[in-house]
Amino acid sequence: MVLKVKNPGLFTTVQDKGRSGHQAEGFSPAGAMDWRAYMLANLMLGNDGDSAVLEMTLHGASFEVLEDTVIATAGAEMPMHVNDRAVEIGTVVHVLKGETLAFGGASEGARTYLAAAGGFDIPGVLGSTSTHTRSGIGGMHGRTLQTGDRLKVHGGSVTETLLRVKNFENDALIRVIPGQQYDRFKENLDTFYESGYELTKDCDRMGFRLDGAVLEAAGGHDVLSEPTQLGSIQIPKDGKPIILLNDRQTAGGYARIATVALADIPKLVQKRQGDEIRFKEIDVREAAVLYKEEIDRVNAGFYFETDNNFSLHRRPLSEKIESIMKR
Amino acid sequence: MEISQYSENALTIYMGDDIDENVNRQLVSLKQKIEAQEIRGIEEIVISYTSLIIYFDLFDADAEEIEKAVRNIDTDSLLEGGFEYRTVEIPVCYGGEFGPDIESFKENGLTADEVIDMHSGREYLVYMLGFMPGFPYLGGLDEKLHKARLDTPRMRIPAGTVGIGGEQTGMYPFESPGGWNLLGRTPVPLFDPGREEPILYRAGDRILYRPIDEQEYGEIARQAARGEYEVKIEMRSEG
Repeated sequence: MVLKVKNPGLFTTVQDKGRSGHQAEGFSPAGAMDWRAYMLANLMLGNDGDSAVLEMTLHGASFEVLEDTVIATAGAEMPMHVNDRAVEIGTVVHVLKGETLAFGGASEGARTYLAAAGGFDIPGVLGSTSTHTRSGIGGMHGRTLQTGDRLKVHGGSVTETLLRVKNFENDALIRVIPGQQYDRFKENLDTFYESGYELTKDCDRMGFRLDGAVLEAAGGHDVLSEPTQLGSIQIPKDGKPIILLNDRQTAGGYARIATVALADIPKLVQKRQGDEIRFKEIDVREAAVLYKEEIDRVNAGFYFETDNNFSLHRRPLSEKIESIMKR
Repeated sequence: MEISQYSENALTIYMGDDIDENVNRQLVSLKQKIEAQEIRGIEEIVISYTSLIIYFDLFDADAEEIEKAVRNIDTDSLLEGGFEYRTVEIPVCYGGEFGPDIESFKENGLTADEVIDMHSGREYLVYMLGFMPGFPYLGGLDEKLHKARLDTPRMRIPAGTVGIGGEQTGMYPFESPGGWNLLGRTPVPLFDPGREEPILYRAGDRILYRPIDEQEYGEIARQAARGEYEVKIEMRSEG
């Protein structure tokens, strides 16, 4: 065992790339919501691309370190401490047995990812470690972390540690692809694209409910149940958009005006209650190109810069040097 | 056939506008024909009432190529020849604490025994799965068994419960809140990650409910817990 949960935070779950290939049976894909921050946290440690991480929401967790390990973080800005020492999000840190690792409330963004060397060692369900709390499967017994939970990591050597994640864009623009019932909203498109929408308090892993100008569907808001996609923007009878996200039901019966482009999902899921977003329409082919370019950028190290804070990365070594110097 | 794209990594193919057994049959046949082509990069095909959706890996597949391959399939041939389907038998203990609403069908002029006979005496087509993992959207419920949902939904319906909501019958693989009229419960785990097929049925299959008594419920539950119960699945053909 490597980490013991002292305080689980607001909503902390084990996630990976998601449970793909089981939507026909009704399983939501789940998975890390900010796929870019998830990839970066694992890349910093040289982990496999589908390694299990912890997703912390708005207020992070705290842990007792039971064995030395190396961790990396990416995503929302949260105060982070190793004992009394402040550490920045987006860096690699060597944590030592007996220390306390603690995260506070997010100052910017909503979700922070905590990766550990080799990935967290969690049994998979249907090929994935991702937690889907609504059906109680995956991750830590299908639920959020609780005080006293103990987490194992696979361990192994860490390839590159002197990395730091650059800041992400956080503007309000969310690009979307025309959706299944786009034609029903022909009369409302100006409203949809020109007025902003605000995230309400009802925003979670299943979906984001928005507040703003009402959109009326010609021909009604109900449709026969049809598979939902990540980012589907459905408009129920009250005319207020709901964006479906990772833990969504796999079938839905409301008219869909648009789908959020995969490339803008990371920006969207770092928004929080009260934040405003604006939609801009793009073509599905353009969206595909944007997504592929973004994945290539992440893998090519575009979001990394060199971090010179050597002492945090190689703690056992630097601490040994420090103690020798004191002699 | 109408092919559309609403997200980067998925193609949707519409085969009809209404809930219709023939549309379902066409979709099941189309899915098999697409799968038989072994097109690179296809991750999953999901069937719903009137459409199927093909999910693919953007780095491994090309939307235009998949679309071309699908257009090459002769849709007129989808209903030709006979077709095979699976019938999945689900044992159900009706009434009592498992089915507290079965007596309320008196309002429909039916005794509990009549409800059991009518509900278990036919096959239900699985149009699609969704709402929750393993929850089947079933077609074929006898009109006399249509019954509006409860005014006040229950906070907790146990996994395995079989019920009726409006014009639909179905079952809950996971514990859930809900407003359905509860008829009974199956001792067979509807979701079992350790089983070869974690979910027992898929779109295009048929469900047959077999009435069992409390004693058999207990026996099957014990067998299932030991991983020894085998669900009866039969291949049937038509046409």
